[in-house]
Amino acid sequence: MLDQVKQKAKEILEKKEADGVLGLRKGLFDVIHPHVFTVPSELDALVLEPKWLFAKMARAILREKPQAWRLAVIVRGCDERAIVELVKRNQIDRERLLTLGYACDMDQAKACLCSRPFPQKLDAGAAVEGVDPLADERVKAYLEGDAGKRMEMWAAQLKRCIKCYGCRNSCPICVCVPCKLEDDVWVERGVIPAEMISFQIIRAFHLSDTCVACGACQEACPVGIPLMTLQLSMREALKKDYNYEAGLDANRKSPVLFDFAKEPRPGQAVPDWVDSMGKKP
Amino acid sequence: MSAERGNVKILVFTCRWCGLIGADGAGRKRIELPASYRVIQVDCAGYVEPDAVIRALASGATGVAVLGCHVGGCRFNDANHPALKRLELLKTLLDTTGIGGRRLLLGFGTAHESHQYAEMIVDFHRELEGMPSMASWLPQGE
Ligand code: SF4
Ligand code: SF4
Ligand code: SF4
Repeated sequence: MLDQVKQKAKEILEKKEADGVLGLRKGLFDVIHPHVFTVPSELDALVLEPKWLFAKMARAILREKPQAWRLAVIVRGCDERAIVELVKRNQIDRERLLTLGYACDMDQAKACLCSRPFPQKLDAGAAVEGVDPLADERVKAYLEGDAGKRMEMWAAQLKRCIKCYGCRNSCPICVCVPCKLEDDVWVERGVIPAEMISFQIIRAFHLSDTCVACGACQEACPVGIPLMTLQLSMREALKKDYNYEAGLDANRKSPVLFDFAKEPRPGQAVPDWVDSMGKKP
Repeated sequence: MSAERGNVKILVFTCRWCGLIGADGAGRKRIELPASYRVIQVDCAGYVEPDAVIRALASGATGVAVLGCHVGGCRFNDANHPALKRLELLKTLLDTTGIGGRRLLLGFGTAHESHQYAEMIVDFHRELEGMPSMASWLPQGE
């Protein structure tokens, strides 16, 4: 698969489809780091592991470069979906970006609890079937069962947060400037441990309809809080209510930002209650 | 685990076109209401970002109500629809963490429905009284 990716990347540079290819490079002393390859011969040093999401980086690079400069990005499934979400939010100009997608293997999919371990535009490798994160025992423990117990479990987890902002920084879709997590109106700065409801719930909710379940937040968290799990129930609700999944269709905007009278919905339509305690009109 | 009984504080965000007039009407009709709630007037329920609800809960509110016009009756290009959808999604997150989506009340009414308003507040107050305490989530001393 690596050779296939290298070959395609070389073609892209040779045919001048893009001015640079963003991927991982094994450099001096075998250190692996992200790199923009601009000449085909450089691509011999390309590697695909470890998992590294480039969406945010691609955005930053494109912002630095002149308008005519085009970038190709070597992506996994989640990275492609993150790019789609950034395109929707006008953070990346689709015309200037090309993806070269490859599929993850089963081991990676299992490690990530990924339901779509492949990009839609697949250029290399064979797609394997994903795993259902909601069927995982560890996830179930945090999403199901008695609410009181869950409340204690989540509180115990979130209390350990050292407020390093790693989850925000690593998330490929967290790009707002200014960020509410740095604003005293919403989250007191400099207070550790983080005040859980403000910090964690605001962060999680901001990604409710954009999270592509890449797991980057969870992997970045130095104290190992199951942050992706926090997003899964919202992703599931969007799927059920609106048949919406983030990162799949660049032309479909988030259903919670737009009028639902116009939104085709298989699930709950205009509510049949006047208040959410269930009173009927 | 202790319940919220005796500790109920409700923050009501209500649009000035329907919910607020309903609240006014309830007052004028001298309907007896719990003293546990405070009202913040907004121009439209669509203004109430979920973050504001979260922040209210973090600041010690036991429950938050967001009241707007009937779906379809919004003055601002149906802004109450997406607001409703966002807040419904927030309920999902609150349920996941065990805080409880029931701490968030969404309600829709028209300006003359003061009885409905009163009933909603009374029921919500009662519902919150039975909720488990959120103490483990709040910073000490609050
Ligand atoms: S989240 Fe999915 S697409 Fe991304 S690295 Fe893991 S298995 Fe691959
Ligand atoms: S899994 Fe985490 S890092 Fe990835 S998109 Fe969702 S919130 Fe962001
Ligand atoms: S990465 Fe973990 S410790 Fe750091 S701010 Fe996020 S939740 Fe807290």
